[in-house]
Amino acid sequence: MNAPKPTSPPVLELEQVTRRRAGRPAVSDLTLSLQAGQILGLLGVNGAGKSTTLSMIAGALRPDQGFIRLQGEDFSERPELAREVIGWLPEGAPLWPELTVREHLDAHGRLRGLSGARLNQARDAVIGRLELNDLARRLAGVLSQGQRQRLGLACALLHRPALLVLDEPANALDPVQVVALRGLLRELANGGTAVILSTHQLSEVTAVCDRVAILHQGTLRHDAPLPADQHAALEKIFFDIAMARQAA
Amino acid sequence: MTLFAVTRLELRRLFVRPLGWVIAALALAELGWRFALLLQIFLLNQVKLAALPDGPGYTDLVAVRMDSSFITGSPLPFGVIELALLLVPLLTMSTLASERSAGTLPLLFASGLSATRILLGKYLAVLIWLTLWLLLALAVPVSLAHGATLDWGKLAAATLGTFLALAVLGAIGVACSAFASHPAVAAVAALMISLALYCINLGAQLAGINNGFINWLAMSTHQENLLRGLVSSADVAWFVLAIVVALMLGTQRLAADKERG
Repeated sequence: MNAPKPTSPPVLELEQVTRRRAGRPAVSDLTLSLQAGQILGLLGVNGAGKSTTLSMIAGALRPDQGFIRLQGEDFSERPELAREVIGWLPEGAPLWPELTVREHLDAHGRLRGLSGARLNQARDAVIGRLELNDLARRLAGVLSQGQRQRLGLACALLHRPALLVLDEPANALDPVQVVALRGLLRELANGGTAVILSTHQLSEVTAVCDRVAILHQGTLRHDAPLPADQHAALEKIFFDIAMARQAA
Repeated sequence: MTLFAVTRLELRRLFVRPLGWVIAALALAELGWRFALLLQIFLLNQVKLAALPDGPGYTDLVAVRMDSSFITGSPLPFGVIELALLLVPLLTMSTLASERSAGTLPLLFASGLSATRILLGKYLAVLIWLTLWLLLALAVPVSLAHGATLDWGKLAAATLGTFLALAVLGAIGVACSAFASHPAVAAVAALMISLALYCINLGAQLAGINNGFINWLAMSTHQENLLRGLVSSADVAWFVLAIVVALMLGTQRLAADKERG
C-alpha cells in the first residue's frame, strides 16, 4: 500500500459538494480527498450518487455547491484541468460507433491536447498495454462490451493522467482481463497515479483498493482504509449501511 | 487547439458515415442533370439571345441558375439551395443529437471544452463539408468556362450568396441537433425551420408586398440580390446575424445540458 505524501497537495479534494438531480439531492455535502498513488474504492447501491460524483470529478457535470480542487487548484476556475489531469471511463464506456479503435484513441488524444509524435507514441503504448493490437482497425460499433471497456480504459489512460476516474471498469471483462485490470491499476498507483474506482463488486475493492468510501442516498457514510480482514469486514460495513437505511 | 480536435472528430464522423457520401453523390448527380437541362435551354435560345443588346448569357442562364430555382421559377430539378434545404438537415442531425443518445457528449464536456467551443467545432466541420460540396457543384458550370464567356463577378456574388445560405442552413441544423434528443427529430425540426425562414414571405409576395419586416426576415430576399450579382453589406449582415443567432441558441442549450447533466 502506498503512503500518502504529506507535503504535496492532494490530487483531488471535494469540499461540501452538493448536486441536485430531478429535484432531489443526488450528492449532498460530500467531502473527500485523494493523494497521489492511492486507489479509492467508491461503493454504494444503485442511485447512491456514485456516477454523479464521478461525473462532477471528471468535469462533465458542475456541482451546485461546494468546491472541487485538482492538485490544489479550483476546478471551477480552471476547467481545462480536466483535460490535463483526469482520465475518465464513464459507465458503459460510451464510444463513437463509426470510428475505429485507433481513430478513437487519436480523437481522445487530440481532445486532451496531444498531437504528432507524442500522440502516436501514447496511442501505441496504450494499444500495447491493453492488448488492442488485433482490434486497432475494427469499428467501435462492432466491439463486444468487454472490448469496449478496454478501449474506454485505453482512452482514459492515453494522456497519462494524474487522476484516473473509473466507473464500473470491470463490467463485462472476463476473469483473466479482470486480473489484468487489477494489475494495471496497482502498477499505475505505484507510479503515482491516483485512482477512484466505482463498482458494485466488493471483491474488486478488496482486491485492489487502499481505501473505501461508501455513498448512500447521496451522502458519504464511510471513508476509511480497508480493514485488515478485508472482504468479510467490508461486507459487514456495506450491508450495515445499505440495509439499515432501507429499513429506515 | 482543442476546438479543431472537435472539428476533426466531427469531419471524420461525417466522412465515414455512408449518409454523407450518399447525400453528396445523389445531390451531385441531380445537379448534373439540372446542368444538362439548363445548358440545353441555353443552346436552344442562344441565337435569339445573341440578338438582344443586354441579353442574358451563359452565366445568367446556366451558371447562376445552378444555385436556385426560386429565382427562375422554372420547373427544373432542384438547384443547390433547394437540395440543401432538404439535405443539410440530414447531414447535421447527428452532430450533437447522436452524441447525446450515445452518451458521448459528457466525454466532450470532460475534455475541458466550453459549450461554445464544442458547438463551434462541430459547426466548422459541417461548414467544411458544405464548402467542399459547393465547390464540386460549382465545378460543373465552371468546367465550360473555356468555351463560354463567364461573368466572373456575377458568379462570385452568386457563389457567395449560396455559401452564406448553406452556412445559415448548417447553423440551423447544428442548433436543432443541440436541442434534440434524437437525430430524426433534429432533422425534421431543421427542415421546417429552414423552409419557413427561406420562404416566410411567400404570402406577402403573392399579395404584392415587396418590402417590410416579413420580407426582410426571409432568407430568399437576401439571397436573390446576391444571385443577381448585387453584393450589399446589409444582405451579408443578415446571413451573419442568422448564423450567430442559431449558434447562440445551440450553445445555450448545450451549456444547459452540462448544467443539468
